[in-house]
Amino acid sequence: MVIDLKRCTGCFGCVIACKAEHHTPPKVFWAKVLRSEGGKYPNTNRQPIPVICMHCKEPECEKVCPTGATSKREDGIVVVDHNKCVGCRYCVVACPYGARYFVAKWQDYFTGKDIPSSKYAEYSRRKWLEESDKGVVTKCTFCVERVQKGLLPACVLACPAEARTFGDLDDPNSEVSKLIKKRHGFRLKEEIGTDPCVYYLPTR
Amino acid sequence: MAEVQQKEMMCAPRAQLEWGFGGRRKIRDGALLVALFIGGIGAGQFVVSSWLLYPFGAVVGLIFVAVGKSAAHLVYLGRPARFLRLFMKPKTSWISRGLIAMMVLVVFGAAYLAPYLAPMVGINWTLWTLTDAVGRSLFGVAMVAAFIVMIYDGFVLNSCKSISSWHTMLLPVMFFFYSVAGGVAMSTLMTTLFGGLSTELIITLDTFLLSAMLALVAFYIMNLYSSDLTGRESLRRLMMGRTAVFFIGLALIVGLLVPIVLTLMHQFEGFGALATSLLAISALLELAGDLSVRHSILKAGLHAPVM
Repeated sequence: MVIDLKRCTGCFGCVIACKAEHHTPPKVFWAKVLRSEGGKYPNTNRQPIPVICMHCKEPECEKVCPTGATSKREDGIVVVDHNKCVGCRYCVVACPYGARYFVAKWQDYFTGKDIPSSKYAEYSRRKWLEESDKGVVTKCTFCVERVQKGLLPACVLACPAEARTFGDLDDPNSEVSKLIKKRHGFRLKEEIGTDPCVYYLPTR
Repeated sequence: MAEVQQKEMMCAPRAQLEWGFGGRRKIRDGALLVALFIGGIGAGQFVVSSWLLYPFGAVVGLIFVAVGKSAAHLVYLGRPARFLRLFMKPKTSWISRGLIAMMVLVVFGAAYLAPYLAPMVGINWTLWTLTDAVGRSLFGVAMVAAFIVMIYDGFVLNSCKSISSWHTMLLPVMFFFYSVAGGVAMSTLMTTLFGGLSTELIITLDTFLLSAMLALVAFYIMNLYSSDLTGRESLRRLMMGRTAVFFIGLALIVGLLVPIVLTLMHQFEGFGALATSLLAISALLELAGDLSVRHSILKAGLHAPVM
């Protein structure tokens, strides 16, 4: 995936789209937008930085996971098997991007309790427990269930500024590869050596 | 929690909230700290007591590891019923390596101590003794496993590359010395209560360990000072604010400096009847310091900002 920082307005549309798609409980953000402040008065700026799981080629989370719950699929997507995870949270601590969340129990958005307060909340709870479970670690899946159907990930589809581009990094003719080459795409925390697969295009 | 959530959304050093007290699950996450502490002093006590031929102390150390550390880990886990899966990836995961070492320590340690334990339950043990070739081999394997149990948590923290205050080889070394010192402190307490070891030997060992720990903590502070911005922010947290109460107050002053003074006073002056009580107090303070230093290190863990 490529995220164009010049286009991102920090509207949090991706965050909401992800929540609606995956029914993540409160305080769990598979997609989030960090606020960065820089420069020196009077030339200061605020830059939103959308962050998701980087689906690294050398993922630290997979290396440290003692149970083998975290694995890398052939298409490069890093996934967590919630039936194998024990909730030790070594991966949460080892992930340099803060992309992983431990969910001790499902919570209702309005009451904060584990009893659903509406029919939608009941549906949301059921979906969450089916797909992610409680007492385990969860993270962005690049909307693998949508990608398999030939659809775009929810955050890409929802972005009103079209700041996100999804595609095959291994194909030099894909739009993402071309954008990275043309706009000098960079990656976050490259020095750690995880070889992340999400690229950012600079603001200028 | 809303404040924590807001901080999580800033592009700034981010506190780890998974391990130790005051995390996402406030109290229950502290079970991990308890596991590290009990595992460290249990393995340390096994090593120290076995080395000093004090089998009673070694048994207590082994129980600490087998029961205390295991129970604390189970309390911490999100899905404790699946705990067997934790042993599955020793090739790359330090948690798997540490827990396998823990199992080896418990099995081989119990086998080594069998000649001492069997008569207590009315069994006449003749297969091996504590000092013959078989006994020594079992002791050797248990010692190696105990060594890994003492240092593996340091490597677990060291493997988190984005946390500057953890990503240092000083941590396994520090945890080793703290574990051995914890073992000596536990043996001191047991000697005070039940007798069994020479206090002179304990004092000599304690003086060396306390000095080494003080030097290591000083190195750790210097290492953070010369580290990146996130490392220096971790140091600021250790030196000021709530974590400083544990790090400077409990770990440095109560857990290191006071025991050093008490041990030196005992060595040079001699306190007669008071001496044993002073040693016991010193041991208790050392244990409090051990717990505090581990707590402080966990609390000072900050992830570097993503950009």
